[in-house]
Amino acid sequence: MSNNHQVLLDVKNLRKFFPIRRGVLQKVVGHVRAVDDVTFYINQGETLSLVGESGCGKTTTARCILRAYDPSAGQVFFRAEDGQVMDVAALPANQLQPLRRQMQMIFQDPFSSLNPRMTLLDIVGEPLLVHGEKAAHKRTERVAELLRLVGLRPEYMRRYPHAFSGGQRQRIGIARALALNPRLVVADEPVSALDVSVQAQILNLMLELQEKLGLTYLFVAHDLSVVKHISERVAVMYVGRIVEMAPTKELFYAPRHPYTEALMSAVPKPDPRLRSERIVLQGEVADPANPPPGCYFHPRCRYATDVCHEKTPVQEEITPRHFVSCHRAKEISLRGVVKK
Amino acid sequence: MANDNKPLLSVRNLKTYFFQDEGTVKAVDSATFDVYPGKTLGIVGESGCGKSVTAQSILRIVDQPGRIVEGTITLTRADGSQVELTGLHPDSEQIRAIRGAEIGLVFQEPMTSFSPVHTVGNQIVEAIRLHCAVGEKEARQRGIEALRSVGIPNPERRIDEYAFELSGGLRQRAMIAVALSCDPRLLIADEPTTALDVTTQAQILDLLRELQKERGMAIMLITHNLGVIAEMADDVVVMYLGRVVEEGSVDDIFHNPKHPYTKALLHSIPSIESTPRIKLPTITGSIPHPYNRPSGCPFYPRCEAYMPGTCDAQEPALLAVDERQKVSCFLYQDR
Repeated sequence: MSNNHQVLLDVKNLRKFFPIRRGVLQKVVGHVRAVDDVTFYINQGETLSLVGESGCGKTTTARCILRAYDPSAGQVFFRAEDGQVMDVAALPANQLQPLRRQMQMIFQDPFSSLNPRMTLLDIVGEPLLVHGEKAAHKRTERVAELLRLVGLRPEYMRRYPHAFSGGQRQRIGIARALALNPRLVVADEPVSALDVSVQAQILNLMLELQEKLGLTYLFVAHDLSVVKHISERVAVMYVGRIVEMAPTKELFYAPRHPYTEALMSAVPKPDPRLRSERIVLQGEVADPANPPPGCYFHPRCRYATDVCHEKTPVQEEITPRHFVSCHRAKEISLRGVVKK
Repeated sequence: MANDNKPLLSVRNLKTYFFQDEGTVKAVDSATFDVYPGKTLGIVGESGCGKSVTAQSILRIVDQPGRIVEGTITLTRADGSQVELTGLHPDSEQIRAIRGAEIGLVFQEPMTSFSPVHTVGNQIVEAIRLHCAVGEKEARQRGIEALRSVGIPNPERRIDEYAFELSGGLRQRAMIAVALSCDPRLLIADEPTTALDVTTQAQILDLLRELQKERGMAIMLITHNLGVIAEMADDVVVMYLGRVVEEGSVDDIFHNPKHPYTKALLHSIPSIESTPRIKLPTITGSIPHPYNRPSGCPFYPRCEAYMPGTCDAQEPALLAVDERQKVSCFLYQDR
């Protein structure tokens, strides 16, 4: 990708704790540490994926960046169109609207994310209306352009979502996200509700649009195959923390964190000749309300030593652009995906 | 499929239709396959291909207005006698003795398949007492053993918990425990790992494999995930819009696919082994709505090898291309 490596989004020590309330007085008895000290950046025009299992905090992280949730702590620096860098996490709610033009979201479920009583014109045109485009004919024009862009016929704009298949609906969702020419698009599991034969179409469309419009993607997903396909860099999350972050190929072929290794080995490979020795993690994902001491992964880690029980590992850049939080990252050699 | 021993379950030309005001949905339209003892048959297909309705037809739990209109489902029982399941009344004594006892079922959604107001133990004990002549105490003991055999820690305590107190993985294990509590000879697993995370999925798949080795039961594994099929199945049936389009050994299906749909499906999935950020080949269009199913071969509107005048005019039959592989496509047969 040709870009000048200008950082578009810079997230520093982001935290989001949800209070657990109990009893008649709704006293706070604890916190779910959904996002716990997450730091990463995304360059202009790049795709970074957040990947992890359910409950690891990937969606919460994405929502904090868009200020759908108010972060508990940390900074989210965003470089606006005019080059000015602002801390999204610290902005008062009434100053968020101009920023929201520049950050948009694609949702997971194309069935519940589109209002069944609105036509495509209303759905895709609504962000335009909200952000001040009052002239109806201009909105219609723009909607037609957007529908063409995502591979739908503009004649369809007076129809309702029920007339479209899952893949087409996801295209509508993408058109709506692109209506305001955003610079950052947060895609939360955009293909996981689709049939396998349709997933490829949507992934291709997203790659194409990125090239055409110079978009920056924050891609949230649990499916490693999809993540590998779309991203330039990948951050692996476990119980609210990023355990490893690296350029895609490096992460898949030479992982440095035991959790990344286990996660990749658990993915069933679509080739019966590769029925290999899988690493099956024992036990369950730690409870984010009551995480174990030290490294959160140590109870399931086959490389854990005493230090892992006691000290929380810090994120370290072991080779350029490859970050790992593991005490033993430099001593152990791990198995990645076999190169074909 | 070359196999010396007799099939445990034999499905021939099964047709299950749903009769609705808007028209008839041919959910399963002449499915034919065999399940052998100790082997895993994988049934793979996308949504609407009829894989779940096939399972429901075997257990005779197809919901109204669905009905089996044609075909036979033959189960060979433990004593060697054969029963024709389509001939039984869905509420009859006979089918109820088979359901749960000879054929166990694991559903996709471990949350909704358990009753939220009964403990897990209650539900296991119910299944055991229904099928085996044992007392309350003995049934509970067996329930605890069943939970232990699927790797649930602390089964004496867990048996008195409710489904919502268990995590997704444990819940699915409990589901498998219920299905296996009466030692079925066939386990039908309908998307058993779809709702689970990959590391939990790996645990459950491992568990199913171990249990199969231990007990020698047959597994019919229904899923849309080709990776799971490649890991688990011995033989594979590929379905599209209610029809079996291809059938063969797992190695042939993945390394020597014949049907254009199987080929396209294998090419279009992003694999963890493929190169990042390249354009994937896609299957054009989407799965047709069941009400306007294309005439002829159901796949022809999306097929790259479409032959006008042939594919849209008649339906291809499922014919053997060699002794192990069958395919339903005009490319491989004389017209």
